[in-house]
Amino acid sequence: MPSDTSILLGAVAYDPKVVSIWEGIRDYFNDAGAPFDFVLFSNYERQVQALLAGHIDIAWNTPLAHVKVQQHTQRKSLSLGMRDSDRDFHSRLIVRSDSGIKSPVDLSGKTLAVGTADSTQARILPLHFLKECGVDLKAVRMLTFETDAGKHGDTGSSELEVLDALRRGDADAGTIGDLIWVLEQAAGHIDTSLLKSVWTSPPFDHCMFDAMPDLDAQKIARFKSALFAMTWENPEHRRLLELEGLRQWMPPREEGYDSLRAAVADQGYPL
Amino acid sequence: MNNESTVAVAIDAGELPLGGGLLALVRPALQLLEPGGVLAINSGHDGLQDDLSVWCKVQQHEYLGHEPAPNVVDPPHVSIRHLIRRGHLSVPQGDRETGMRLEARNGKLRADAVLAAVPMPETADPRSGFAPRGAQVEPGGPRYPFDLLESRHVAPPEVAKLFDQAVESQWDGNRDIPWHNLPGHAPDLERAIGQVFTFLAENELSALYVPSRFVSRIHPAYAEVAMFLSTQMADEARHMDVFLKRARSGGAGLGVSSVTTSQSLLSLLELTDFTEATFLLSVLGEGTFIDLLRFIEDHAPDDVTAEIVRRAGNDEARHVHFGLVHVRHALANDPGLYQRLENAVRRRAAAMAASSGVPEPLQDGLTVLAAGSTQPRAIARGHDDFRQLLEVMHTNRMKRLEHAGFSPAQAKTLSELHTPNFM
Ligand SMILES: [Fe+2]
Ligand SMILES: [Fe+2]
Repeated sequence: MPSDTSILLGAVAYDPKVVSIWEGIRDYFNDAGAPFDFVLFSNYERQVQALLAGHIDIAWNTPLAHVKVQQHTQRKSLSLGMRDSDRDFHSRLIVRSDSGIKSPVDLSGKTLAVGTADSTQARILPLHFLKECGVDLKAVRMLTFETDAGKHGDTGSSELEVLDALRRGDADAGTIGDLIWVLEQAAGHIDTSLLKSVWTSPPFDHCMFDAMPDLDAQKIARFKSALFAMTWENPEHRRLLELEGLRQWMPPREEGYDSLRAAVADQGYPL
Repeated sequence: MNNESTVAVAIDAGELPLGGGLLALVRPALQLLEPGGVLAINSGHDGLQDDLSVWCKVQQHEYLGHEPAPNVVDPPHVSIRHLIRRGHLSVPQGDRETGMRLEARNGKLRADAVLAAVPMPETADPRSGFAPRGAQVEPGGPRYPFDLLESRHVAPPEVAKLFDQAVESQWDGNRDIPWHNLPGHAPDLERAIGQVFTFLAENELSALYVPSRFVSRIHPAYAEVAMFLSTQMADEARHMDVFLKRARSGGAGLGVSSVTTSQSLLSLLELTDFTEATFLLSVLGEGTFIDLLRFIEDHAPDDVTAEIVRRAGNDEARHVHFGLVHVRHALANDPGLYQRLENAVRRRAAAMAASSGVPEPLQDGLTVLAAGSTQPRAIARGHDDFRQLLEVMHTNRMKRLEHAGFSPAQAKTLSELHTPNFM
């Protein structure tokens, strides 16, 4: 149960490093005058339930969890902040060079590898956007990788599975997020003569700090001021920012989730 | 998009995809720019903007956009010019060593020349870690546990020259000693030699261990000091090796390790102040050892024994030289150090108060060695030689102390307080 003064934040333990991240952020927040503690959940569904039930003050949510919280609060929930790296995400259609696929419409009759059912960037949104550009998804063979269900694609493991399936030739094309695509290239993990990107989706946004509408104003103020005071130039902050995959915390914006709201409605995804 | 006037660096990337080598051109080109500087990339790779803009976002550079490249004739495919503005984050600190060209003198490129070209800073930042002096350092690195951070306490200017000398003077204890010429000696004499070399080897081990405790504390901005100490440690390892081989080559084997020696060497090993340790080990201890090694050389009954201690003595002279320049450099920058060094000698003397003289097995070994036999008249002469050695050691120690910067009165007191173990 959250206390009167201390902020209780929920996060999902999608990787062992999550413990180091939040222990570090907890110590930082406490030193910065924002009493803070955290709890870890094994999946986003449980975390959203806990937020809605008032068991935690703030949830560090994926876009799907964010949309879910808004759905259950009639969009009255509070959005407190996001990472710079959460803005303007895209999904990519990656194909084998020998597949003959030059654009999404060529997918008809081909095998498409997609990520986990609850992955925004590797499944829900790319299928939504592909359908919007005229792809008949019923004419496409789907190869699905249901790894880490409940983690909403956070681990990136299903995206790496998609890339592996393409390398092996088990699929002609695959959908992944552009961050993984670029990071894998920058790390030298991609044979660019074998794999290439032929389509980029419209932009969408990623994670968000969500709170219930009745969260204590003092807690909100303390949380925001400590969060936005973190800087890349401070080595202690930098360690935490690097672990969490950002360089700067940003204020929230909602338009980046419109496409996801439309997609879950269209696909009948249970929220 | 009109950034024509602001483009500072332009690269031609052909048709390289981002994951196919493009970054090996882009990243170094961005390093050449100041934050805010603009890089132009001419690329024939279709759709590069999507990958490049994501990469820029991750790296916090600004992707300014793309446009048809001007004046494209060759290659025939359409070329696109992408513009990136270098971000302000993670900009390495320090100036690039542009135009640095070290030149050999007489066919040699010495550490001393490097030190002259890239001087040591007065203070060093523990966050630069193992970055070599002169490298640009990306900010935000972790703090390293180096605590020897000031050149005035750590780094005498002569250190690079001493490192050069040390490297040139390395010798091979297997090859450079005429082991095959070792003659047989009377068992009593050989036992004395075994005892003397046991003592020497024990002290060499301590001289190997004591500097090692400081190497990892020296900030790499003063790497030449660590480099010199590593040659000193290699010297001591070689000394220990050849001393033990000598003791075991004549039939006697090793002798006794005494409590006096053990106490004395522990009091060295426990020192935590670099300058105090250098003073006690190198100026006083190894200085005294030079006289001891010369004594053994003068009385050596064979060329093998003489050659071993002669070579070791040459190395020790270098160690003493380092000790002297280190202590003089530190004393020149910190007058309060005189008292601290004197206190260190007094503390050690107090800890050694129970032991009254030179370890007995060593006294006897040196006496028999100097006598050359166990004939009573020869022993009487050997005993005189040993007593004279103590006088010579005391006199030379006072000279070295005065050379280090102490007054004659201080030098006399400190020399008299020096450990009866010599080291
Ligand atoms: Fe030595
Ligand atoms: Fe030495």
